[in-house]
Amino acid sequence: MSVWPSPAVPRPLQQLFDRVPLLTYDANVLPARSQSATSSRLPTLYVFSTDSDARLGAPSYNPGCLKWQTFLKLARVEFQIVPATNHASPTGALPFLLPARPSPSASASASASPAPAPVSSARLQKYALEHGQHKPAEQTPTLRLDAYQALLDVPIRNAWLQALYLEPRHAALLDRLYVAPASSSRWVQATLRHQLRRAAEAEILKTSSSAGGSASATPILVDESAMYAGARDALDALADLLAESETDWFFGAPSPSLFDASVFAYTHLMRRLLDGGADGEGEDLKIPARLGALVRAAGTGELERHQSRLLEMLWPGESLSGR
Amino acid sequence: MAASLAPGGSNAASHSPRTPSIPDTPAPALSDHLLTPASISSVEVYGATNTRRSLLDHLFRPLVENPGPTTTLGELLNRINRASEKLVRLDIFKQEGYGVFISDARDRPSGASGLHPERTELDVSFRVKEKSRLVLSAGTDFGNAEGSAYTNAVLRNVFGGAESLSVNASTGTRTRSAYNAVFSAPLNGNPDLRVGVEGLQSSTQKPWASHEEQLAGGSLRLVWLARKTGDSHALAYSGVWRQLTGLATGASPTVRADAGDSLKSSITHTFTRDRRDSPTLPQRGYLFRTVSELAGWGPLHGDVSFFKSEAEVAGASSLLSTARFHKSWTPITVGGSLRLGLLYPLAAGFSFGGPTSPSRINDRFQLGGPTDVRGFKLGGLGPHDGSDAVGGDVFAAGSVNMMFPLPRTGPASPLRIQLFANGGRLVALRNEGREKENGGPDSNLALNSSAVLRGMKSAVGELASELPSLAAGVGLVYAHPVARFELNFSLPIIRREGEQVRKGLQVGVGINFL
Repeated sequence: MSVWPSPAVPRPLQQLFDRVPLLTYDANVLPARSQSATSSRLPTLYVFSTDSDARLGAPSYNPGCLKWQTFLKLARVEFQIVPATNHASPTGALPFLLPARPSPSASASASASPAPAPVSSARLQKYALEHGQHKPAEQTPTLRLDAYQALLDVPIRNAWLQALYLEPRHAALLDRLYVAPASSSRWVQATLRHQLRRAAEAEILKTSSSAGGSASATPILVDESAMYAGARDALDALADLLAESETDWFFGAPSPSLFDASVFAYTHLMRRLLDGGADGEGEDLKIPARLGALVRAAGTGELERHQSRLLEMLWPGESLSGR
Repeated sequence: MAASLAPGGSNAASHSPRTPSIPDTPAPALSDHLLTPASISSVEVYGATNTRRSLLDHLFRPLVENPGPTTTLGELLNRINRASEKLVRLDIFKQEGYGVFISDARDRPSGASGLHPERTELDVSFRVKEKSRLVLSAGTDFGNAEGSAYTNAVLRNVFGGAESLSVNASTGTRTRSAYNAVFSAPLNGNPDLRVGVEGLQSSTQKPWASHEEQLAGGSLRLVWLARKTGDSHALAYSGVWRQLTGLATGASPTVRADAGDSLKSSITHTFTRDRRDSPTLPQRGYLFRTVSELAGWGPLHGDVSFFKSEAEVAGASSLLSTARFHKSWTPITVGGSLRLGLLYPLAAGFSFGGPTSPSRINDRFQLGGPTDVRGFKLGGLGPHDGSDAVGGDVFAAGSVNMMFPLPRTGPASPLRIQLFANGGRLVALRNEGREKENGGPDSNLALNSSAVLRGMKSAVGELASELPSLAAGVGLVYAHPVARFELNFSLPIIRREGEQVRKGLQVGVGINFL
């Protein structure tokens, strides 16, 4: 690191600079909190999770994070997960992956080397293919794939946002997953809750208004039942697609692909978090926000079986109700 | 009889604020006079049109209280003087046009009938001019290692009780934006005891740790100034929502782990004793300051819980020999200072032994920089994760310097040449006994109380175990009334692996230098 920006340091001065400091001790030890953040030699995937789930590598409770967590596991990348918030991310959204630091020499501490550049979710597929021990089946981009991907990105995602973020009956769940971990202060929690809900609304309106072509300036009342009906149709379509496949996986692939991971991210979390059971709602299928019930009812149970298969494959021993 | 006490020295009988205007060795006739019984017949205030009666009552009641037969004229004059000083310190009246006039009520042409013949009865009148109620200003500011531009609006004497409301907006080299509003009012009409409420919102870049910190919060503050000694105490409760966000691409795992929200709810006590002749270029005197903060413990709640304490001692003294030779010679001064700090994590709630989470990056101390330990970059000392200064829980820093006058400059010159050596040590509390456990993430971040105590003891012990990181150099000091500027050439002598030194030139602008 040069002291002077452009003019070269005169030689005698440079010789003086080279001679100091006269004594260099070993590096300071990092604080307790960062000891755990820097002690691992594994790449770290930053996801929404809890401390205890992260330690076990359990599935994240955020669909976007779970998709990539699943895919990295499919590609047999060795990694650890760390609970984080969007603030930790270079793009403002989770997940992202911090590659392992270049292996330091035995004596120097790991903290001496600069932190590696983070890998955002957009580049995770490439990373997984380069670093994984197994190449998951790859789908060539086709219109058909795009059409099914769009089912996940619009109707299924919107129903997920509506059910978890905006549905009053799931307010406690939303608090437990996204609000309470951020801060114990009610004031902070109330602000965050409000921000989360506004963001979810905006996301829903972004896709539904472009579909309907209505002016975005006026707030549109979202038709909830139409949204859940859209999700049901989309899940049915995915179940039919899976039924057509000769293998257990989408598009007849020999092994699960990124698309399987994307579907699993929603179906697993819908069944795990939004299936009534836990909230003691019984078997009342009429409650539209029970997306888990829609997953079970889709087709002839293809999606439910697909979800169980992937869960058993990647997280053996993990059950829907947690551990 | 008429006397005039004026604060600004414009009137005949000017006086210093600390001593009453009564001469120290009064002539025998006068001193006899001062011992005569006296009382106050009336107090009048002219010109305080926007000032509340109750505020003035607080100030002038001591004048007319207990007018026993033993009250002497001298005592009364002292009381008048004290009331006058307080009136001035409320900072709502202009200096020019201010005057205190005392006359003997017995000289009054009318209405002198009911007066006690043997007692001196005084009529006191205060002439004041109120300062304008709204002051708008804008300008540039120098804080420690930061330049900024601000706009400020002060609303004085808002409700007529010497309350002030100050609204400030600024932006700077590091502070992206900062807004704050402070409402403060004297308690019981006492200008030396003020209570204040503040709301603030700011966004500050912290490039030495690759992030940006956004704050939103408020505080309630009680400030007490001891007039006689110049000591001040401030007690404040504050609740601040901190958001660590906007991380740089190369941010270290330590910073990423601490990114996000936290609420700090804390009580802070600050004690300052400043006996230096000048804060920017002290020639003699000393400064002693302590800051103690209790956060999150007991009823305070919040997301962080710790006790944090900092102490600072600084002093300067002129080398007498030169001053004795010649009056006009600028003395050579030697100065030194020492700062210590400790952050002790506490269990949340009322427990002493419960699980304790270690400190976060925004609560830990940072050390190093041009106004701090010179010869190091900002936050250059202490633990570093990659290039990020992640701070420490215990620190000690000290400096010694010698100030020489520039040739052909007088003692009043604000320029000096300084020789300095400074150093420090910033150590983090570590989680002993659980290092490198399976290489995976720690099973639990929380420490128990005995682990905290053990870690703290070893961190404090570490301060003295090795030589501190050290730098020395020579530089030019310019003491402007608002800030001190330093241009130093420094070389590091001792450092630790990862600590970021600055070889060569370094510019420091600030008020409070180590």
